[in-house]
Amino acid sequence: MLSLKGIRKSYKIGPSEVEVLKGVSLDVASGDLLSISGPSGCGKSTLMNILGLLDRPTAGHYTIQGKAVAYDSDDELSNIRNRCIGFVFQQYHLLPKLTALENVTLPMVYRGASKALMLERGMRTLKLVGMDGRSHHKPNELSGGQQQRVAIARALAGSPQLILADEPTGALDARVGQDIMDLFLQLNSDQHITIAIITHDSHVASQCRRQAVMRDGELHE
Amino acid sequence: MIFQANLNEAFRSLASAKQRTALALIGIVIGIGSVIAMVSIGSMAQQEALRQFKELGTDVLTLEKDFLADNDARAATARGLNLNVVMGLPTAVPAVADVSPYTQGGGGDVFHMGKSLTQASLMGVTASFFAMNKLMIAEGRALSDLDSNSKFVVVGAQLASQITEHSGLPPTGQQIRMGDHVFTVAGTLAKASQAALRRFDPNTAVMVHITSALRLPGSEISLVNARVSGGISNDKAAADIQVHLSRQAGFPGVRISSPEELIKQMESQMRMYTLLLGAIGSISLVVGGVGVMNVMLVSVSERRREIGIRRALGARQSDIKGQFLMESVILALLGGLLGVVLGELAAWLVCRFANWQFAVSFTAIALGVGVSTAIGVFFGIYPASQAARLDPIVALRAS
Repeated sequence: MLSLKGIRKSYKIGPSEVEVLKGVSLDVASGDLLSISGPSGCGKSTLMNILGLLDRPTAGHYTIQGKAVAYDSDDELSNIRNRCIGFVFQQYHLLPKLTALENVTLPMVYRGASKALMLERGMRTLKLVGMDGRSHHKPNELSGGQQQRVAIARALAGSPQLILADEPTGALDARVGQDIMDLFLQLNSDQHITIAIITHDSHVASQCRRQAVMRDGELHE
Repeated sequence: MIFQANLNEAFRSLASAKQRTALALIGIVIGIGSVIAMVSIGSMAQQEALRQFKELGTDVLTLEKDFLADNDARAATARGLNLNVVMGLPTAVPAVADVSPYTQGGGGDVFHMGKSLTQASLMGVTASFFAMNKLMIAEGRALSDLDSNSKFVVVGAQLASQITEHSGLPPTGQQIRMGDHVFTVAGTLAKASQAALRRFDPNTAVMVHITSALRLPGSEISLVNARVSGGISNDKAAADIQVHLSRQAGFPGVRISSPEELIKQMESQMRMYTLLLGAIGSISLVVGGVGVMNVMLVSVSERRREIGIRRALGARQSDIKGQFLMESVILALLGGLLGVVLGELAAWLVCRFANWQFAVSFTAIALGVGVSTAIGVFFGIYPASQAARLDPIVALRAS
């Protein structure tokens, strides 16, 4: 469904070029539950940014559902992010002034969805993560675990092809972190949602069906 | 949907930084306020001039001694305008239907029953004076040419009411004293509206027949009003009068002005005033615009992470741009609306002070709204473009 082939990414730091990704290839199939782990500085964040179309590779091909990503159009990248990718961040990254429901429906705003559709979908996804009772709370009225659930609902609301979670349990204590992992496992098995979790936590990685490890800019499965 | 979301977001953002918003608004408020005041006061002044124009008639010329006349006439300027020549104008010049010369000067304290009432000016007028100046008699009678050399007077409305207030008697028939002269009140004037085209205030005047007034030492005709005959242009009449007067030996050079000229004078005064306010307005609008830009730049840098999040969720550059542009336009519009209120208030105060008729100027409101929107767009486009161009990865990492 998503396919990376020979992805390279290098940064110019002063006079020298540093290659962070040295030819990464990865196929993500529908229904996958994939972990990408590795020590810090190994290039997992760069890989995540490329998977999430926030960054452009220096070389290589990225196809989504057989279609090559057109890197020359920023609008097109925004569009793919909006429809194909659902982000879950370590720091939740909810907008503080919006309610849980408004946060969840934000991706749909950029598609020009109708108010009724947004309300219906927003409430349905909030229910899926067990947060429908808190739909009108602001993020600062919610605990860390609850905020992350809202963030997951936001990622789900646009029904993307891939949920891309960057250290989703990193800011949570072990028990709450496990609740979030359980939620991912359950969404994957019940709703067949494709999830890629970027983590340095081996316990989190070990719970995923597919496990990939980044080492020195290369990906090993 | 995005429009509505951006609108909500703009209000939310501005409300969360009230102090900053308020400070940014001051410049716009003052700028738009003075522009509005300028436009509405200007248009009301014009209305007022037109009203006066209509009230006194468009066919009345004003003749004055010309102190800048050429050499021949200069010697004659020492003498006044000759009353007989002036009164002979309608007969000698067919373009003139009627004339009304008057003297103005002298005057001082008015005493009634030994008590000083007020200061008044003593005017010498003819019978035609009242019709020419659209003055109505309230009580008693107007002066007629039978009052020649008499000491009967007509008094203005304000003086009349002061006499009644003081003595409890109707003013007609009362005797008043000005300096060494004792006058008998033959009639009183109804209250006359302020008109800039009249060079005197009828409400505080004491009017005696011009023949009596001219007997006072140093007294001379200060001004002549001449009504132009129907079907003849003001310019033609003025030319005919000049030709006729130039043939009168010993008659000083005169300057003839028409109501159009007086109104032009008034308008040029207004233009100065308008220019001044316009300059203040434009400067404050620029300052206000820079204020808006400043606030928006701060807002953008404070919300970099939010921009990153929105971009990650699929906002296009144009969506981000639209969001911040909406915010700056709303900010400027808020300032504009407050400015409109302030400007109209200022215009209202000026009207009250100047005794003009006040009307809310919808042109001015449209102008204020339009200009402030344009300022919001013009000074908001740079911060909004900066926000849109932020690299999502860098923006997401911002604290």
